[in-house]
Order: sequence, then structure tokens, then C-alpha cells
Amino acid sequence: MPSTPNSASDPAPDNAGVSDTVLSVRGLTTAFNRRGHFHAAVRHVGFDLQRNETLCLVGESGCGKSVTALSLMRLLPGRRQCRVSGSAWFDGQDLLALSEPAMTRLRGARLSMIFQEPMTSLNPVLPIGAQVGEPLVFHRGLSRQEAEREALRLLDLVKIPDAARRLRQFPHQFSGGMRQRVMIAMALACRPDILFADEPTTALDVTIQAQVLALLNDLRQERNLSLVLITHDLGVVASVADRVAVMYAGEIVEQAPADRLFARPSHPYTEALLRSIPRSDRDVGELRAISGQVPPIHRMPAGCRYAPRCPVAEAACLDATPALAPLPGDPAHAVRCRVRNPAAASEGRIGHA
Amino acid sequence: MLECADSAAPILEVQGLRKVFSITRGFMGGQRASLTAVDDVSFGVAAGEAFGLVGESGCGKSTVGRCLLRLIEPTAGRVRYRGQDLAALPAQALRPLRRKLQIVFQDPYSSLNPRRTVGQTLVEPLRVHGVAKGRAARDRVAAVLTEVGLAPEAADRFPHEFSGGQRQRIAIARALILEPELIVADEAVSALDVSIQAQILLLLKDLKARHGLSFVFISHDLGVVRYFCHRVAVMYLGRLVETGPVPAIFDTPLHPYTETLRNASPVPDPANKVTMRRLDGEVPSPTAPPPGCHFHPRCPKAMDVCRTTPPAWTTLSGGRGAACHLHG
Repeated sequence: MPSTPNSASDPAPDNAGVSDTVLSVRGLTTAFNRRGHFHAAVRHVGFDLQRNETLCLVGESGCGKSVTALSLMRLLPGRRQCRVSGSAWFDGQDLLALSEPAMTRLRGARLSMIFQEPMTSLNPVLPIGAQVGEPLVFHRGLSRQEAEREALRLLDLVKIPDAARRLRQFPHQFSGGMRQRVMIAMALACRPDILFADEPTTALDVTIQAQVLALLNDLRQERNLSLVLITHDLGVVASVADRVAVMYAGEIVEQAPADRLFARPSHPYTEALLRSIPRSDRDVGELRAISGQVPPIHRMPAGCRYAPRCPVAEAACLDATPALAPLPGDPAHAVRCRVRNPAAASEGRIGHA
Repeated sequence: MLECADSAAPILEVQGLRKVFSITRGFMGGQRASLTAVDDVSFGVAAGEAFGLVGESGCGKSTVGRCLLRLIEPTAGRVRYRGQDLAALPAQALRPLRRKLQIVFQDPYSSLNPRRTVGQTLVEPLRVHGVAKGRAARDRVAAVLTEVGLAPEAADRFPHEFSGGQRQRIAIARALILEPELIVADEAVSALDVSIQAQILLLLKDLKARHGLSFVFISHDLGVVRYFCHRVAVMYLGRLVETGPVPAIFDTPLHPYTETLRNASPVPDPANKVTMRRLDGEVPSPTAPPPGCHFHPRCPKAMDVCRTTPPAWTTLSGGRGAACHLHG
């Protein structure tokens, strides 16, 4: 729960002209307690999510992409271990300021989430049918029988063959790809507005990954769903994203429509990331590794967090924190780098956009 | 298909390799069944060559890697290293050869002993093989740590003090310390973030060039294989389906499975999205593989003959080969 959910620097965004925005996140900062001190794992994250849009949060381990989703879903531990601030406006209410009972009514109903390893998200001793129907019993008050009928329809929806028989089976009788389909069925049971998918295909083989991504893509369009897809794989991003936010060390460093991000990567980290990927479709010549490592959460550098590893860093980068600001002449493409984007020179209110 | 890219004599020659596991299934293991993890696999690796083995989970690529070093006893077939058949050697005679063949695993968290310092881990192979001890061993440890990009002081620290990328460097140092000729790298960069993966790939490529090392490079990632390997074999349900030189096999795949795999592999380019089909079947269980060509139930080009007759291996031009009725 944020202490000041609506502080002066984070006003509720004016959504009058853009009614298709379903979620509006501003200044999301999530800090964890480490030996008595709170350190931000996610800092000043802001984005708008449109209806029927796939937004990809991409970055390497520990960049804060999962914590961003968990903060918005309010799935993090309480104030002693973790503090969340900022705002996240959804349907006229700030998710970060909602009471726990109000959040419980939204979670699993209008906001859903699926995870990387479906086996740990499923109950091993309950048949699939009972689990897929559970959100409907909880949120919609359906009877067990009604929920089971609905579960059958949902398994059909996610293209699980022979659904009537599969309904009676247990999670261990499903393959990894089929389990993830079950999770998707469960997440979509109550027709949510937003689905957070945290590395949903990372544990799957590529041919199965392609199937699950296709399924998510189709369902998003059929159901007018907004998808926040969290991934480390820029190849997956290129295949499914409408818009992309690249995260590094807890911050969004670049945000742009997918085609523009790949055509014109502008943050040095995005550039370096793209150059470090070996590609199967063409020879890349020599790979260029990013030297060094991501700084640990309790020893974040002052100034730009990427500066110590950045080949274009200047002295000023080490002093002032750059803002995530739109590139001149390209309002949809925001870059948090003062070398590449003069508008990013110092962090102000625009940095929350 | 045994010929190497450049007619140099292969240092490793695998012929008709087969591994059958017997497994128990059902309640309390009541039923016995057999699982053919590797089915008549043959290939050769030249000195200084990186030979890739690609395929999805359960295709048998790791079992091949382990059979090469006899970490698993092959059921049948020959693994000749410089003319000597490793599969037939008694354990005693195998030991000196083990020095020359080393392995690096995927997960540096579980492949390093957490209770030993890095130095203790690295000295052990030197002691086991009687290569060096005392001062000489310590010097060798320092040299190999430097070679993989770590400070010699790392020897006094424990694995938990290192990041994933650094641990993989330690695992590579352990493989290098006996000055092997061939390294089996089993998904050696798969658990790493891309920026760290690139660091390790660069290191491996550098070591390969510097020591003339050969690699059997096992990976599920076509991009990594394209970058690192000269030739590659594609496996599906225990069998090789296609082999060939690296750019060609991905640019013009001959076997429909290679093509499926390539089309499903994501590349960072929105103009080249993965081919996403909602359902084209899952990998069948290796305990009951489909008859005929194992791939036929998922194959968009399957013909009647594919359902009944396993395709024979066909050697094709350009150093390529495939097991597919389309190219028989």
C-alpha cells in the first residue's frame, strides 16, 4: 500500500481524450527491505496500456519486470518487507490505493496473471476441471456443476483436445504446453480486461512456445483483452508486441511501438542488448557482449544506472538521473538517456510519462 | 554422413549410437517399459570443429553427449576417439582418455560443489589424473582462472560468491584445466541472460581458436548454434533428421522438422515474426514414438509412406544429409 498514492508529483492522468487506456501507471516505485533499509527494485515506472494491446516488458534477470506486474496485481508481501508507491489507474480507481477486499474482487476477475512455471501454479491433487472453474465459483457465485460446464468451454477455447476427458485429469498428466493452456483458461475464466503474463513461454520448447503465443494473440483479439507480456526474449517481443518497454535495473530505459524500437533502438542498453543476441536467421558477425554486470539493488550508482557499463557515457551521466522523455519529433518513443535524447537531461515530471 | 566439412580425419567418430533406458511406470512402478532415447545416431567431429546438436526437450541430445563420455553406458554403437573405441574400453583404460574429453553442463549452480572453494574444485582433476600437485597445481589453477577471465584470487572463494556467468566461467575452467581436445558443452549458455550469454560465447570461441579445441555443442537455441558451430545435426525423438553446414541448414532446411524449428525460433525483428500455428501437435512421448518417420504426425508434408516406413539416411550434396522420404 502506498503511503501517498496521489502525491503532487504524480497527478491522476487526464484520460478524457484517450478513453481506450485501460491502465495508467505513474511513478510506480517498489522498494524491498534489505537489512533494515528499503531499496527500490522498481523505480518511477510509468506506462499507459491500451485496450486490445500487447505491451511487452523486456529486460534481463533482476531488471524489475516481474516486480512491476506483482506490484500492480498487489501480490507482494506487506509493508515490513516491501513498499509500493505511485499510482495505477484502472476503471476510475487507483489499484495501489484500493482496500484489500476491493482488490480481491478485481484480482482473478478483471485483472489476471499467469506465470512461467504452470506446474507450481496448479494444485497437484485437484482435477483440472475443478481448478479452471474455481474463479467462476469465487467471483461469479456459480455452482460447482455450472463452473465445470464452463470449464469445459474454456478448455475448448484454449484448444485443449479432448477437453471432456481432460477435465477429469490431474496436472501431472498434462505436458508443459498444455498446462500453460490450462493456466490461460483459468486466467480468462472471468473475462478480465488485463492479463499479465510473466514469461509464459520461457519454460517451453520453441514449437510449443509458438503455439502458446499464437493462442494468446488470438484470444487477445477475440476478447478485446490487454496483454502485458513479460519476457527476457527480444525475439518473442518482435513477434507479438505492439509496444515495448525495455527495463534496466528497475527503470524503463526505452519505450516505443515495437517496429520503431527495433528499427531505431536509441538507448545504449537496448542497442547493446540487440547486438548481444545470436540470430538464427542471419549471420551477425561478431557478438558484442555488454561488459560488467547489473549493479545489485543496494548499490545502485548515482545518476544513470547504466552509465558504469555504457560505452557512450559522459561525466554528467554519473551525476544526474536522466528522465524517460520522448525523443524530439517522436512523442511515442521515449528514451532515458541524456546523450541520445537532449530532452532526457534531467528527471522531472515528464520522466513519469 | 561421416565425412567432415574439410576431409580432415575426424577426432571423434560416432557410429550407430543407441541408448535404451528401461523405465518403470504406473502405480509403484508396476509396469516396465523401454525408452529408446538415442536411436542409431552417427556423426563425426573434426579437430578444431564445433559440431552442434540441436533439438527440443527429450530429443536425446543430452543423452548423446553423456554417452560420448560414457557418463551413461551406450546400449550399442561405437564412439571412436582418435581411432580408439571408447564404448568398448574397460574402465581402467578409459581414464587417461577422459582427460582429453571434458563436459560443461547447463546449470553452474548445481554442477559446482558448494562446500568446496573454487581452487579445491579445480585442483581435483589435476590430482585424480596425477598431472600436478602442490605449488604446480596452484599455479595451473591461477593460470586457468585468468584464462577464463577471472582473478586468480577466485580460487579461495566459494561458488555462491559468484554470479551465474562467473560460475559458468568456473565450470569452463574445470573442463580446461586438463587441457582437453574436445569439450561437450551441454546447453552451456542456456541458463544465462543474453548479455552474459554473449560474454561466455565469446570466451568459448576464443578458447576454441587458442587451443584448437573441438566441441560437441548441445543446444536448443538455433541462434546460438548458428553463431558457434560449423556443422550441426538436428535430432527428433532420438534420431538424427538432418545434418549439414551451419548457414545452409538454417537458410535452406531440407527436413520439414528443421524448417518447423527454424520458423518457430524467435528472432529480434518484427519483419520476421515466428510462424505461430495454434495447434500443430506436441512432441509425442518417446516411450511410444509414432511408427514410420517419428515426425509424420506433425509434418505438414507427410505422405502415406511416412506413416509406415522409417526414412533411410540419404547423403546429399554440399556435405548435407537427411532422413526424409522427400529427399530419399
